[in-house]
Amino acid sequence: MKFLVETIIENLPLARNPEGETILRELVHRGGYKDLVSDVRSGKYLRFTVEADHSNEAKEIIFDLCNKLRIFNPIVHKFTISKVEKL
Amino acid sequence: MNNFNEVEEGMISVMHSEHCSYKSSRPILKAFSQIKSKRVLIGLEQDAGVVDIGDGYVVVFKIESHNHPSSIEPFHGAATGIGGIIRDILCMGVRPILLLDPLRFGSLEKPHNRWLMKEVVGGIVNYGNCSGIPTLGGDIEFDESFDTNCLVNVACVGVGKVENIKPSQVKDVGDLLILVGTTGRDGIHGVTFASRVITEESEADRPAVQIGDPFAKKVLIEATLEAIETGFVNGLKDLGGGGLTCATSEMAGAAEKGVEIHLEKVPLREENLSPYEIMISESQERMLFCVAPSGKEAISKILDKYNLSYACIGHVTDTGRVLVFNNGTKVADLPAKLLSDPPVIHRTSSKPKIREISTSNVYAADLPILIEKKLYSLLESGNIASRRWIYTHYDHEVGVRTILKPNVCDVAVLRILGTKKAIAVKSFGNSVQTYLSPYDGAAGAVAEACRYVASVGAKPVAMSNCCNYGSPENPEVFWEFSESVRGMVDACKVLDTPCTGGNVSFYNEDEENGIIIKPSPVVVILGVLEDQTKAVSMNFKNPDDSIIAIGNTVTRLDLQREKKTIDMIVELIDKRLLTASIPCSRGGLGVSVAKMCISGDVSALIRIPLIPSYDHMNEYELLFDESHSRFMVSASEDNTAEIIKFTKQKEIPARIIGKTNNSQELAFVGNFSNTLDTIRFHLPDLKEKWEKTFPSMLG
Repeated sequence: MKFLVETIIENLPLARNPEGETILRELVHRGGYKDLVSDVRSGKYLRFTVEADHSNEAKEIIFDLCNKLRIFNPIVHKFTISKVEKL
Repeated sequence: MNNFNEVEEGMISVMHSEHCSYKSSRPILKAFSQIKSKRVLIGLEQDAGVVDIGDGYVVVFKIESHNHPSSIEPFHGAATGIGGIIRDILCMGVRPILLLDPLRFGSLEKPHNRWLMKEVVGGIVNYGNCSGIPTLGGDIEFDESFDTNCLVNVACVGVGKVENIKPSQVKDVGDLLILVGTTGRDGIHGVTFASRVITEESEADRPAVQIGDPFAKKVLIEATLEAIETGFVNGLKDLGGGGLTCATSEMAGAAEKGVEIHLEKVPLREENLSPYEIMISESQERMLFCVAPSGKEAISKILDKYNLSYACIGHVTDTGRVLVFNNGTKVADLPAKLLSDPPVIHRTSSKPKIREISTSNVYAADLPILIEKKLYSLLESGNIASRRWIYTHYDHEVGVRTILKPNVCDVAVLRILGTKKAIAVKSFGNSVQTYLSPYDGAAGAVAEACRYVASVGAKPVAMSNCCNYGSPENPEVFWEFSESVRGMVDACKVLDTPCTGGNVSFYNEDEENGIIIKPSPVVVILGVLEDQTKAVSMNFKNPDDSIIAIGNTVTRLDLQREKKTIDMIVELIDKRLLTASIPCSRGGLGVSVAKMCISGDVSALIRIPLIPSYDHMNEYELLFDESHSRFMVSASEDNTAEIIKFTKQKEIPARIIGKTNNSQELAFVGNFSNTLDTIRFHLPDLKEKWEKTFPSMLG
């Protein structure tokens, strides 16, 4: 069976996030949303199509893959699997 | 016993750490201060050395390490390392114009090392390229001792006018202290601290290394330089290791003054930072200015224009103390000198057993085959192979100063805009030689870096070094360190390149498997070329040029001879007699000639028995011996006689050993088993072998 696994890689919550900070400061706040929006975090979004027997297996494969291939580094990144969907 | 409060304890602990205090290394490094030079305006006492290059211009340069952060998070570790060294140069009041990155990794056969190298290069690209400063002139070495502890050293060179040089110290009582940049918790992760203030949960949300912002750095550079131009800035210092504690206490201590600061005024990036956190945070992209009160408005206007967060956080006093208030409450009161001049530790050192690496005997009959194999394997080896994969990632041209491109020159050669001059800068280190003999290896690194700089025609004038070792508590490591410093001091004395500053990185060892890195002093040499149009690259330019080997093939480094040879090469280039020039470095003369051919796409024929040597050496040894004090140069037929005459006057051995041609073949003629034989290499084959190593490993 094929599964769609969506992952998000972002800097750890207490780490700096220069790209998000710049978007917040230069676009959002300058654009008139200073009172409404207080934070922007940028990150990386990857969507994998993976062959697996069930959704948990699909999740495991993608987590192992990202960890082993250093697609994220736990020392600076937070890694989340945001969605697993059967195709 | 004094009773210190928590904030004071934190400040003292930061400033007395090995990183800030150099407590183990200072007694040894003192030896560098005996070397003086008229050119050096500010030497070891400040953040970075200032060298007078004439015409009212000065060069500021320094090398530093960022090994530990880069070993665990190579991308951001390398990037923030560059951020730090840029600030060190900027805070002297000059524009950073060049970055060099000496790197050391374990074998690329291992996936972990490939990941490290790719990410480190990526981090350098990210920070260096975005901040608008070219990267070139670095060096790279591979050795299994760097398997878990890769070394990422970073060097920066800045240029400015002599009148704009600012000391990293406060000036007059009443001067204002303006802190630029925002402070967050991102630089706080001390072990003692973690257990006391932050919960373990929040610790998991905190990165173990910092994340830099190169675009913010670019803005900080421009704002700082513009602020200095106003004439109101009396001193400035970057906030790096030790954060606000280090900046305030060192600026006050150096001037024998005091400071009073108010933490509630510090611009914060996060809420609820404690005074302790604010004092020791190592947030990036911050700078502390000491400004004359009359200049407050002018400086504010500039900082506003660049959209920077800043605040006047205090002023200079005559008390000699660092006095810290938070919302009117005194939170710390310490003598500046206690923080800025911590006590030293005298470590014991002991000489380890003799170290050797195995060498095998070669037999005359096998020589042609051995030479053929050896040249290919040397060109392919990580320590020699073309660095094209690395430097093509770097922006090595931004700033329009780069004269010689990295494909034809291993040295960074940059014009000084507004003058006829150029500077040449090269970093170099040889861990294997230093491991075998720390004294000779370190002295050799100075000599070799000088040779590189001289090979483009620049006179070596100053040196900065980064000493990378294991734990200083290990007497054998401390012996390696002391011996290498002794070697560098002796070399700098003779070669007239005083040390203007640097950095020591200890504890580069793996606790789990006990592997200690090979002792790795990395040297950066600054050279000055009076006429930028005279710079010479390594590539052969024309067919029918004479190829001349300068200097004897002889095993031991002789510093006096080195100095004479270097001076002579600089003179030869000044007379415009040479068409190409390269120092004999790794892989000896054979590799040097191959590089000259490949980079110029011009072939050559070399007669090996003509290579000057004292000792009786066979063809293999003559080609690949890594003796010091040697250069390979080419010159037009018309100039050859004058060059040989000049070398005779200077009593330096030199001989025409071959000629360039258009045959697409690099040929070595040798006397093997009493018959003359020619070993031929097809030039495109050599080029392919030389260039494929990194792309095939790193993709």
